[in-house]
Amino acid sequence: MIKIENAQIGHQHLLISIDELKLPAGQLYALIGRNGSGKSTFLHSLIGQLPLRAGQLSLGNFSVQALQNDHLLRATHVSFVASMFPGIDALTLHAYVSLGRLPYLGAFGRMQDKDLSFVDEVLSRLNLTSLAHRATQNLSDGERQLASLARAIVQDTPYMILDEPASFLDYFNRELLLEQLQNWVQSNANRTAIFSSHDIDLCLEKGIKLLVLHEQRLTLLENPTKKEVMDLL
Amino acid sequence: MKRTSFPVLFFMLALLIALSCVHLFGLQTQGISNRLVFWEFQFPRLLSGVLAGAGLSLSGLLMQNLFQNPMAGPYVLGINSGASLLITILILGAGPTVLNQLSYASAAMMGAFLAASFMFLVAKRVQNIQSLLVIGLMFASFTGAIESVLQSFAAPEQIKQLFIWNMGSLQQMSAAQAPLLAVFVLVGIVIALFLIKGLNAMVLGDAQARQLGVKVNFLKVSILFVTALLAGSITAYCGPIAFIGLAIPNLARAILKTQDHLVLILFSVLAGSCFLVAIDVLILLLDPWMSIPVNVLTAAIGAPYVAYLMLRRR
Repeated sequence: MIKIENAQIGHQHLLISIDELKLPAGQLYALIGRNGSGKSTFLHSLIGQLPLRAGQLSLGNFSVQALQNDHLLRATHVSFVASMFPGIDALTLHAYVSLGRLPYLGAFGRMQDKDLSFVDEVLSRLNLTSLAHRATQNLSDGERQLASLARAIVQDTPYMILDEPASFLDYFNRELLLEQLQNWVQSNANRTAIFSSHDIDLCLEKGIKLLVLHEQRLTLLENPTKKEVMDLL
Repeated sequence: MKRTSFPVLFFMLALLIALSCVHLFGLQTQGISNRLVFWEFQFPRLLSGVLAGAGLSLSGLLMQNLFQNPMAGPYVLGINSGASLLITILILGAGPTVLNQLSYASAAMMGAFLAASFMFLVAKRVQNIQSLLVIGLMFASFTGAIESVLQSFAAPEQIKQLFIWNMGSLQQMSAAQAPLLAVFVLVGIVIALFLIKGLNAMVLGDAQARQLGVKVNFLKVSILFVTALLAGSITAYCGPIAFIGLAIPNLARAILKTQDHLVLILFSVLAGSCFLVAIDVLILLLDPWMSIPVNVLTAAIGAPYVAYLMLRRR
């Protein structure tokens, strides 16, 4: 359960103000809002990268302040997929995805057999097995985006936050991504995922709950019609 | 660790042993018969090649991780210059009583640490590597200028001492200094091995590394510390040696195609040693006809390779 109370969020200026919001676990939420409405800022507050200006925010049993102070706890509690991964020289897709296991590894960062088979399993779920040994810098933007999702899944945290994870994906991979995220939250009652998106139609079609960000407010809509969403925006 | 890395690492180890044998028994003219000569001159010379090569390429690898840029290295970013400036101040400013093995090394490490921290703060402001390299160059000429001013007050003896040190050489290190340098380099390598997890995550940048549980600030300070320890102590005992720190880690990534820092550290350490010992073998081979300083040869081979890397990045 994500709980937000009297929160003021923003960098220099106040961007979002939330009196009270509770997001039950076991669900997938799509964050919708116009350009510049503060979607990324909100997500950065959720993962503790941006401190709140005021108020309380907690992910399950831990407040974001507690998570900010304990890096290892945060790494096993919440994973984050950034909107862009540029790819890195000599870093293979397999090695990139494997970095998701890092919080669980010993001092020298060696992967055990169970870590490796977990990575292989997730790669095959996302149809990435054939690309496993390609350098990330030589992949397409879409392939890298799927790899970032794989890395977050492998990190195996109860909370997953994704910043426009489908912006470079084709139609089929968008479907795959949503399907995978829905499977991910449904396979364990403690899991919650929030992703930002501009693809309102697809989210409505899949029956995903919407978090609509508009005029500094955040509204949760369950099973809305398209008109309700558009009226809010 | 990838299976394919094992043969490469094994080959580098075998190469290092072979080169060391050639260096010790094949070329040094006095032969092994004279025990005193062996332990006082031949062995320390080989050891300083092995240690300096290993330490410089490791410090280059760490700096490339810290600056998140493959063009970083202790020489191009002016770390040697910082060490060099403090050594100049020490040689000119202090009486002969303070000039022992440890004071040399600590002055150089202090200078290296200050220079590395300065460049790190600069790097936070300038985003592209070209500007950073130019600032490194400016920093080097600036410290060079201060050194020149200081030298104008110096006695001829002191100037000679500085000149010899500045040439860079594996023969300067005495048998008494060898264990000290060995300890510094080994400590540097061991600390680096305990940083592997963080180094692997830092490849993705600060924010992602934090998200993966890495204490980024602690890691950065550790890298600065190890870099200063390695580059500082080596510069103190062998003089400034160029380009190894930049070139070898790039070679490691090009050959092994990995960002796993366990493999990269082991390869850089072995390949750096091989490279510097090979250079010294060459120097010994040419010795009957001419005497070439180490720095001239490393620059002659390293500089074109670095230029090639820069061109390939476009």
